[in-house]
Amino acid sequence: MRVVIVEDHALLREGIVALLREHGVEVVAQAEDAEGLLRIVRGHRPDLAIVDVRLPPSFSDEGLRAAIEAREIHPPLAVLVLSQYVEPVYTAELLSSAGSGGIGYMLKERVGDVRAFMDAVRRVAGGGTALDREVVAELVRGRDARSDPALERLTPREREVLALMAEGRTNAAIAEALVVTGGAVEKHVTSLFQKLDLPVSQGDHRRVLAVLAYLRATG
Amino acid sequence: MGVEAVVVRPRAAPMSAEPRAAVTPPGPVPVEADGQPDAAFGLHVALSVVAGAAATATWAATSGDYFWPRWVWLGLAISVAVHLLVRWAALTPSRPGKAYRVTMASLAALAVVDVLVWLLAGAGTFYPRWSLTGYAVVAATLSAIVHRRRLPWASSSELVERVDVLTRTRSGALDVQAHQLRRIERDLHDGAQVRLVALTMQLGRAEARLEDSGDEATLALVRRARDEASAAIGELRDLARGIAPPVLADRGLAAAADALGRRSASPVEVDAVLGARAAPVVESAAYFVIAEALTNASKHVPGAAVRVTLREEDGALVVLVADDGPGGADPAGSGLTGLRHRVEALDGRLLVTSAAGTGTTVRAELPCAS
Repeated sequence: MRVVIVEDHALLREGIVALLREHGVEVVAQAEDAEGLLRIVRGHRPDLAIVDVRLPPSFSDEGLRAAIEAREIHPPLAVLVLSQYVEPVYTAELLSSAGSGGIGYMLKERVGDVRAFMDAVRRVAGGGTALDREVVAELVRGRDARSDPALERLTPREREVLALMAEGRTNAAIAEALVVTGGAVEKHVTSLFQKLDLPVSQGDHRRVLAVLAYLRATG
Repeated sequence: MGVEAVVVRPRAAPMSAEPRAAVTPPGPVPVEADGQPDAAFGLHVALSVVAGAAATATWAATSGDYFWPRWVWLGLAISVAVHLLVRWAALTPSRPGKAYRVTMASLAALAVVDVLVWLLAGAGTFYPRWSLTGYAVVAATLSAIVHRRRLPWASSSELVERVDVLTRTRSGALDVQAHQLRRIERDLHDGAQVRLVALTMQLGRAEARLEDSGDEATLALVRRARDEASAAIGELRDLARGIAPPVLADRGLAAAADALGRRSASPVEVDAVLGARAAPVVESAAYFVIAEALTNASKHVPGAAVRVTLREEDGALVVLVADDGPGGADPAGSGLTGLRHRVEALDGRLLVTSAAGTGTTVRAELPCAS
């Protein structure tokens, strides 16, 4: 796995690099701004870009725009966007961007939970999805606000499974998080897919996309 | 004018008996800071009293039948009154309306003199009615002219200038405030928050190493420290968002309204038709109107559908937040008062309608022509 880090705060950039190297991840390049990311992507063709949303010079959302542009240049590029705040608009833009690589959007401080962060890095690099639980919580809240009867039919446990699935976790990871067996998780997944009338999809990533599409739908 | 003749006549008679020597010539009277009567005025009064006393004494020494010194006293009193009036007129600072006030005071003095002359002459037929009617007509005409004209005529240019200055300085102050808030928000994100994130990262790495060492007690401590740091980051994030929401600065009002809608506990539909971006203060006021209205809706009419409409009409940004709840909300609610101040500071208007059965509508109009 060849990774590029784009972060303007040296303190954080070096911290993330050190963390990744400790876990055997190869960091091929580092950049401080959006221009740097695009240059590196053209030159190095990395597998994963970990990008801060706010970058110089205007410190608004250059990182996000650059990540989306980088995926157009190099479609297999997986992107893990780190942000200081949760913005559903940004998540939506990222999820609907071009490219075939994995997608992640996480709050910066999640880096502190080393195991979960490394899990997210590997998942996104492997073509999967990693959404911050805050992002998922907002999506679920938005769906709840529209008082969706199908969502109301879910049991509390099924809702937990739905949320973890939307974060991009695999069945095994969900089983570990909820301290249940893999079989139990599978049963919940099947049940909630039926209740939400979602097509049973093969593969973790497509399953995540189906759940996210459901949560984001305004119907 | 016939009136003028009446004005002059009663004054002429007593004037002839007046001791001229004591009258201070009209003109600039020495102005004293504390407004105390000056020396010339004191001398005038003293001489008048002496002259009056002399006349009275002469009257007492002679026949003593008809009290003629009353006319002497009247004349002296008039001269002192005229002196006072001139002095007052000279001391009054020159400003719009001064001439009017001096004229009115003179007319009043003339009326008093007329009545006094009539009284001293034996209070027979009330002949001063003619002169008094004349003064009243003059005073009323003058007053009508001045009062009808004063606002637009005497001070309209001053008012226009003042309004202009206030508008400019207020908008400048609001712009400065908006910039400062944005800077504080950035400082929070790029300063304290970055350090806290770096701290959680280091604690996380320490945690990972401790997991291998088997020192459970220390591991628990480090984990708690990291949780605390995460909580602090979360609080800073909420604080920064409350000051200046990043999505508003980055993407504009429509996207920010959309984000608020997604975050709300109520089902929200956003319908925005906006052109160029408004000034940051205007956008920010509109944003907080929407945020507050949505909070109120989800608090008071949970489950009711809310529609946020954003339009530009006649140089104003119009924000409309309408719910389909039962209505009957208190338009003077606490959160709305703060919003109203915020909107009015931008020369805008905030209208809340909440008739029973029609839902609650919050409408803000913010001038944004630039």
